[in-house]
Amino acid sequence: MSNNNFEPKIVGFLCNWCSYRGANTAGTARLKSAPNVRIVRVMCSGRVDPTFVLKAFKQGADGVLVLGCHPGDCHYAEGNYKTARRMPLLKKMLNQLGIEDDRVRLDWVSASEGARFTQVVNEITAKVKELGPFSRDEGKRNPGEAWAPGGAHPTRATKVAAQVNEPEAVKPKERG
Amino acid sequence: MAKLKLALYWAAACGGCDVAVLDINEKILDVAAIADILLWPVALDFKYHHVRAMPDKHIDVCLFNGAIRNSEQEELALLLRAKSKVMVAFGSCACFGGIPALANFSNRQGIFERVYFEAQSVENPEKTLPQPHIKVKEGELELPEFHDTVRTLAQVVPVEYFLPGCPPTVKLILTAVDAIAKNALPPPGAVIASNKTLCDECERVKEDKTITKVYRTHEIIPDPKKCLLEQGLLCMGPATRGGCGAQCVKANVPCRGCFGPPPGVLDQGAKYLSALASIYDVKDEVGIARMLEEIVDPAGTFYRFSLADSMLKRKRL
Amino acid sequence: MKKISVDPITRLEGHGKIEIFLNDAGDVENTYFQIPELRGFEKFCEGRPVEEVPRIVPRICGV
Repeated sequence: MSNNNFEPKIVGFLCNWCSYRGANTAGTARLKSAPNVRIVRVMCSGRVDPTFVLKAFKQGADGVLVLGCHPGDCHYAEGNYKTARRMPLLKKMLNQLGIEDDRVRLDWVSASEGARFTQVVNEITAKVKELGPFSRDEGKRNPGEAWAPGGAHPTRATKVAAQVNEPEAVKPKERG
Repeated sequence: MAKLKLALYWAAACGGCDVAVLDINEKILDVAAIADILLWPVALDFKYHHVRAMPDKHIDVCLFNGAIRNSEQEELALLLRAKSKVMVAFGSCACFGGIPALANFSNRQGIFERVYFEAQSVENPEKTLPQPHIKVKEGELELPEFHDTVRTLAQVVPVEYFLPGCPPTVKLILTAVDAIAKNALPPPGAVIASNKTLCDECERVKEDKTITKVYRTHEIIPDPKKCLLEQGLLCMGPATRGGCGAQCVKANVPCRGCFGPPPGVLDQGAKYLSALASIYDVKDEVGIARMLEEIVDPAGTFYRFSLADSMLKRKRL
Repeated sequence: MKKISVDPITRLEGHGKIEIFLNDAGDVENTYFQIPELRGFEKFCEGRPVEEVPRIVPRICGV
């Protein structure tokens, strides 16, 4: 089911040390690639909280690309291992939420791999193009109707909650 | 001094929150001394037309439990919002969607087909379905419209306070009632629970947070003294607001997240997934594949009580 | 025909309403009892791990 007029919006989270530089290498080499990936530079692919991926979809993305250093090459040693575990688990959860496998991709691109960057971008763009736009349907109240959003959100409240007597044994933990 | 006007209502609920209010036992008499209850279907015989007849803002505090999943529940949420000065989203269903929000993995068609046609104990050869309007010999009958999606109370009307829990604990209910009685409620938007995660009030010993295997709850008998997550069970503690006294954990079962996400967390399931993947110590494809096999139902486990409140709100169909 | 609605029914667990139709003599012609709620436990328990079901289904009725 491909729609030739549909240009997917793909958000790409690229790590500063490898994949972002790989994208730069692709640019310097004047390699052509699909223009659909909007790049967000993060210091490490391990910075990519699964919430970012969800937020990207919620705010209009049709696909999300996460690129990091090859396993073993992470600038911060362990960061990309965490990503290597987070992204497949997130994809499994997203499948349960009706989001196709091909909409989210994790891959490894080093600073010198301009061609590889181009290839990955072209591949995900083609796959998402074929899948079509991400469903914006948050569940209409009745078919054809949207609802008006309500008020306060329980976790975005910045005001102090009523104090509940805390158990005596607990000491506040210092953040490292 | 005029008595406080109180209303309690249930939407897509189980009655547990109403029972929790009664669990304050003899203190209910103290509540009756300071408040007139104007609506409480489980306990008193007031009808909807009594509420409709009230002037706006007549009710001082409305404790609204249950999620919103049909037009009658939505109508009552809007009605009670208009008639009340303060709305409290009471219990996990009203705060986050709760267990009924698991229906957001499906929609009206999927649910109706299963409930009325496919369920093994159902005999419905004529394939009768509930209808919003039906003409009978004597006149007309109505049923609410069943929505595709379960929503939280705050997604339908503005809400001043949130009291999470499935059900909220007696201690928190008394805290709230006390604050209402003394007119000492916190600023609007507050969640009446702890501002820290469950781990903070859990008394188990926490050591090295790395695991190499996830167990399903029937696969091991946990050590009652050690952190459940460190033993490989999917305890939602790190991604769950505290304030419940860690009741489940004290009973040697992992937390399932009924107090919703901690302060500042926009999506409980995603946050927990991130934490879990951080501590699961494998680096190779085989290990990662094993991890995926062991975690059998990520969406249903990590969003057990909070699917309606999550970023994506529902499964995309 | 005159219709009397008892809405909601009270002092029990659950939602319900009763519609009573009276004929011209003022006698009850017919009465209908309706349940205006459904949550769909039969549907959303599908796909959940079996050991989790005992933690989900008590929420059918909290009483």
